[in-house]
Amino acid sequence: MVSALHIITAALAAAFLMGLLKEQQRGLAFGITLVTLAFMSWISAGWLWTFASTDTAAVEIFTAGTQPPFAINLRIGLAEAALTLLINLTGLFSALALKDTLLALGRRAMAVWLVAVMALSGIVLTRDLFNLFVFFEMTVIATAGLVLLSEHSKNDGQALAAGFKYLVVSQFISAFLLIGIIFAYHTTGTLNIDGMAAAAPLLSGSAAQAFSLAFFLIFIAIVAELKPFPANGWALDIYESAHPAFSALFSAATGAAALFAVDKLLLIGGDAWLPMATGIGIITFIAANLLALPQTNDRRLLGYSSIAQTGLILAVLGQRDILGDHTLYIAGGLLLSHAVAKAGLFWLSGLIAERGLEAWAALRGHPVLIFAFVSFICMLTGLPPFPGFYAKWELIHLLAGEGRIALLGLILLGALIEAGYLFRWFGYIMKREAPAEVVDNAAHKVVAVIAALAAAWALSLVWGELSVLQFERGNLLLALPLLFALTFLALDPLPAWLKNTLAIAGLLAWFYLTYTEYDPLRMIFAVIFLIGGSLTLLASYHAHGQRSGFYPSAMLMFAGLAMLIRATDTFDFFVAWELLTVGSYFLILRGKHSEPHALSYILFSLGGAFLILAGFALATQGAPHFDLSALADLVQPLAPWVFLLLAIGFMTKTAAIGLHIWLPGAHAEAETDVSPMVSGILLKAGLYGLIVLLLTMGRQDFYGVELINVMLWIGAITALIGNLLAIFQEDAKRLLAYSSIGQMGYAMFGLALMNHLGWLMALMFVINHYVYKSMLFLSIGGVAKRTGTREMYRMGGLITLMPLSFIATLIGIIAVSGVPPLSGFGGRWIFYNAILTAEARLPMVIIFLAGPIAFLYLFRLIYTIFLGQLKDEFRRVKEAPFWIVLPQMIYVAILLVVAVVPGLVLRHVDSYLNAFFPNGGLVWEGSTITSQFGYWNPVAIMIIVGVIFMTLFAWLLFVNRRAQKVKQFNIVFSAERPFRPETTHFAWNFFAPYRKALGFLTLPLATMFWSTVTDLLHTAGDLARRFYTGNGQTYAFHLLAFVMIVYLFGMGVRP
Amino acid sequence: MSFDWMKIPYALLTVFIVFNYGLLLGALIQKIGARAGRRHGIPIWQNYIDLIKNYGQRTSITHGVMFYLGPVFRLTGGIGLLLFVPTIYGSYMFSNLSFAGDLILALYFVFFGTLGMALGAGESGHPHAAIGITRGLSQVSVAELPFALAVFAVALQYQTLSVTDIVAAQQGGMLNWTLFTNPLAVAAAMLAFLGSMMRPPFDVVIAPQEIPIGPPTEYHSAYLALMQTNRAIFPVAKMVIYMNLFFGGATSWPEFAVKVFLLYLFSAFVGVCFPRFRVEQSIRWFLIWAVPLGVLAILWV
Amino acid sequence: MISLAQMAMAAGFILILIGFYGALTQRNLLRMIVAFTIADTGVNIVLVAVGHMRGRTAPILDVAVPAADAVARVIDPVPQALVLTAIVIGLGVTALMLAYALKLHARKHTLDIAKMTELKW
Repeated sequence: MVSALHIITAALAAAFLMGLLKEQQRGLAFGITLVTLAFMSWISAGWLWTFASTDTAAVEIFTAGTQPPFAINLRIGLAEAALTLLINLTGLFSALALKDTLLALGRRAMAVWLVAVMALSGIVLTRDLFNLFVFFEMTVIATAGLVLLSEHSKNDGQALAAGFKYLVVSQFISAFLLIGIIFAYHTTGTLNIDGMAAAAPLLSGSAAQAFSLAFFLIFIAIVAELKPFPANGWALDIYESAHPAFSALFSAATGAAALFAVDKLLLIGGDAWLPMATGIGIITFIAANLLALPQTNDRRLLGYSSIAQTGLILAVLGQRDILGDHTLYIAGGLLLSHAVAKAGLFWLSGLIAERGLEAWAALRGHPVLIFAFVSFICMLTGLPPFPGFYAKWELIHLLAGEGRIALLGLILLGALIEAGYLFRWFGYIMKREAPAEVVDNAAHKVVAVIAALAAAWALSLVWGELSVLQFERGNLLLALPLLFALTFLALDPLPAWLKNTLAIAGLLAWFYLTYTEYDPLRMIFAVIFLIGGSLTLLASYHAHGQRSGFYPSAMLMFAGLAMLIRATDTFDFFVAWELLTVGSYFLILRGKHSEPHALSYILFSLGGAFLILAGFALATQGAPHFDLSALADLVQPLAPWVFLLLAIGFMTKTAAIGLHIWLPGAHAEAETDVSPMVSGILLKAGLYGLIVLLLTMGRQDFYGVELINVMLWIGAITALIGNLLAIFQEDAKRLLAYSSIGQMGYAMFGLALMNHLGWLMALMFVINHYVYKSMLFLSIGGVAKRTGTREMYRMGGLITLMPLSFIATLIGIIAVSGVPPLSGFGGRWIFYNAILTAEARLPMVIIFLAGPIAFLYLFRLIYTIFLGQLKDEFRRVKEAPFWIVLPQMIYVAILLVVAVVPGLVLRHVDSYLNAFFPNGGLVWEGSTITSQFGYWNPVAIMIIVGVIFMTLFAWLLFVNRRAQKVKQFNIVFSAERPFRPETTHFAWNFFAPYRKALGFLTLPLATMFWSTVTDLLHTAGDLARRFYTGNGQTYAFHLLAFVMIVYLFGMGVRP
Repeated sequence: MSFDWMKIPYALLTVFIVFNYGLLLGALIQKIGARAGRRHGIPIWQNYIDLIKNYGQRTSITHGVMFYLGPVFRLTGGIGLLLFVPTIYGSYMFSNLSFAGDLILALYFVFFGTLGMALGAGESGHPHAAIGITRGLSQVSVAELPFALAVFAVALQYQTLSVTDIVAAQQGGMLNWTLFTNPLAVAAAMLAFLGSMMRPPFDVVIAPQEIPIGPPTEYHSAYLALMQTNRAIFPVAKMVIYMNLFFGGATSWPEFAVKVFLLYLFSAFVGVCFPRFRVEQSIRWFLIWAVPLGVLAILWV
Repeated sequence: MISLAQMAMAAGFILILIGFYGALTQRNLLRMIVAFTIADTGVNIVLVAVGHMRGRTAPILDVAVPAADAVARVIDPVPQALVLTAIVIGLGVTALMLAYALKLHARKHTLDIAKMTELKW
């Protein structure tokens, strides 16, 4: 094994060698630089392999032939090897990305680059305090030099100013550091970190006090290198002005090295200093994320994000007293995620010409780069299968297990804000107008990005394996559904129809493989998710060409859904939940105008997911595994909290009132075949979560409030408001979306009844809603596709032009409204029987009001689109494409079959529910269904209605046989014969009287609330960032003030 | 309860009786209303004349399939509603087709005809039809609420959804009627009843002045005849439900005739006394006056 | 009785404070750099003062101080070594700052740090 010391010597030797080269031999110099960096990386990699594959102890490297404390010693262990590899590789690929600049500036710049990378490795390796100082100072000098790399005539000396500000601040830092070191040495008699760690606890009296003060100075100086809030204005200026390849090094490598230095210092200081680290870290995490919100410059934004991530990891280091052995796994996972993702993003930034966030829309023509961006932001946000996800899962669980709830909450809050600006940015990329400047896809620059991308996925694999080894959880990347979804990334260039066939085959095959595992309850969801999913995918055959990006997203969602119903423990469940959330987000984002809606969808979903995570973590209480069924064993006072967190989390997906504002836009703006997926199928995931929750936890008493009753109210109000809002929509798909909110309210209401029939009704809603909402979204989507508008008042009279779509809509609205003889009636009938045994009666009033309101919007839907007056511009509209109509016709058939023989499905569920609610089941005799209150015979109803209808129809045909078909305007009103369909088609503001009477109920209170929240966050961020005036002296003052405040707070509470 | 073929002629007999009774009753109420307004009013057989005339009209037009089917839906709704509920308590002959479903079926089947007719009228392209429908739907969505609450209260009270059982529970003297055992529910339901009878103050839906007869505005000839047939049957079918739920049902046709007449008279009585509400006014009126009664009714049970 | 070392240390800290004060109040880049060199000097004096031991000689092993009794007669050599390093580093940083000042002046024709605030927020 090559000694790790050669990481340093090789760099120094190469840097000296640069001096011997001629100024013109730039290519050679660059080659030497790359080779040296590769060699340094190779050494680190070798050590990493050794430590990872064998159980080797850390190796000490002695210098000057003497033992410490008389000489400096270095150490390489697993963490050091990993970090130096990170630093050296970042150095290597950044150098590659910097090729043009380095070649232009020549050998001296390359020497400085090598020294910078070497110094960072030195910070990691050294075990000597003064040596640490020296390496830090070398980093400072090298950094100040390298900031100049981006100095050119265009940017008006910004980088110069930033570098100077940095030097000013670092002067203060080095003064603190030196004074601290000398006094620490004076009291302990050694400069060796391990020696000092051994000596420090033995001190007493004034020596202990002096050491404590000295240590504070050292500690705060190193922490200041982490750019803590608010002493970080200088760093932001560097991030903004420096060359992005350098910023990558500055963010990934410098941050990692400084964090490791803090880790070493905490070894000296001991547990007493941990709260200070946590405090500084978490404040930085929250504040930097908040300040990042109003940023418009990509690099400054990345700078804020870097600072935030570093703060988070500092906070995690501050928790090492409870993380114990897992510190490396957790902090390492977060650190590597941050480093790789941030380096990748900075390198990507080097490909973009303009600095505005919208300018990144230039990436859109480059699927690989888009994939890289997505991977990086998912990695930063801690989504599966990236290491940050595993780390976050364990971290939150450990925090919850120790009762550090406040910290847990703050971490999740910060992460949500971070996800907010990162996904907003992604929205810009996908949806904003691409700038004129194209992406600079020079090979050497792209290679760096690809390397980061490869590292991201490799790390995911490693962390997955680690999670198998350490916690016996699955490696997510090897989960078959996820792998299947990821395969579509590789298949992206294939034509859409081929991928569609594969996707359908995959869903069906997975169902075939697993169908034996499901109990009847899960079977319903399995059928909807998998069979229903493939049915919906039939509509996707209408798409032509390649349809880039659709299938990975869709299959990611389906993978999540497939994994959700098979999950037995909380980890698997949560993974599946996150996967389906992310997949559906990408799907929704594909809509033409869905940028803001997709953003609010992902934010609500992630917020909900974080609540679920917190709930699971609370429930687990430190146990390594937690079965979902064990939720039933929870007791007061924990249980109601867990219930509350999980319930709210699931209700964000079912769009309960107050949390519903994402749904209308997301469902309405989605593509034609995506709307049925996210409405008909995805919403059921939330219901599934609620079902799992209620089956296990059932009734919970929260400070005297029966939580299930609260849910009953929420369900009822959701049903009412959803329906009420639906009737006032002018946009047909929005109308359907609001109707979904109402329907989900019904389902929640049914579940919250907590009796046999209530659940049966909810499950019937699950099935029915899937069928009719998918069908309606498809038919309305088909109409919107043909007419080019979703505004209902602009349509009209399409019945003769699109008869099949009309039939689907007609059957759909009859089913939704619950009018016999179609299947919706079964749901209503069970509903009435269910509420007769319910205890709470007041919410029924609301749900009774909600019912008839459905007729209003349903009539509006069908009338304003298909009936009334046909407009001139639509006279040549054709029926919707075959592939969009086909699934609708299948749904029509299903609805008719389910209407006549509901027992096909419900019987099994009914008997299955007996296990949970033994009383109040239905009796199935022949075709008659009997409950304890009433009875119902769907076959008889269908026959009777059919016979009466056909008889009367025949009679009318007979008496009216001479009826003439007349043209459109053969009507007279107001003493005129109309000639303009626009003025004759009564459609706009259809229910004006209703608005007059009950419009006050539709005030967008929830929207106002949430937009106020986001506005407040934005404004707070915007005001707070004025704090960074740009003046170097102000920054220095911030640093001093930071030191003072930390001293006053930190030393005050220390023993 | 199950099906046997004899039920079909019996059911047709019920339809026939109710149809004729409904035609006469409609005219009678019309006449009473006219007399209250110091007018002479129509002859009692006027509805028959209208019906024959409409069936006999030689010209007829159609605006399309749904337009054609609208009246069929409408009348199917009326007849179905009538047949899903037993007309005469204790009579096998006139228990109709109630084996197919209980009260909930009847309540939801009301909408079958409404929806179909609304669709048919919609296809005519006449804006007045659509305006009338929006008014009607708006009004009925709230007017139904107190009724639904009352039904819920009654079902809770008798612990059944079967109409026959509800009537059975009210037998044995007038004081067993829901009217006396659960007056709040009946009060709420009777207010809702006003809203569904298309008489003042809730008749803006078919307001003869502003919108020529509302939704059916384009219907004529045999279409209109079918709808008139429904006009005879549907209100009676509805009053049968009221009678069964709240007023002890009927054990014989004369009792049936009297009770239905009185119920009809109630709406006519209110109708001649009050001016017309606009839609938003009637929505507010139902929410303020009728719904609280219904809420009290279900809390009180 | 205040020892020499204590006086030196006090002087060092005073110099540091003067330097910091100057660096925070002077807006001219060159004056700031001068202030920092004063602070650096202060830091170095503190370092040396910490290492000072009363009545001992310089840590140079020669005829006057034989290796055998060096431990008892010389002062601690480590702080002195540190000071040397610190001086070198301080020199490097100062030189770099001066180079920056030169370039900034060439670019912006001013040495006022308050006028270099394009990057902010």
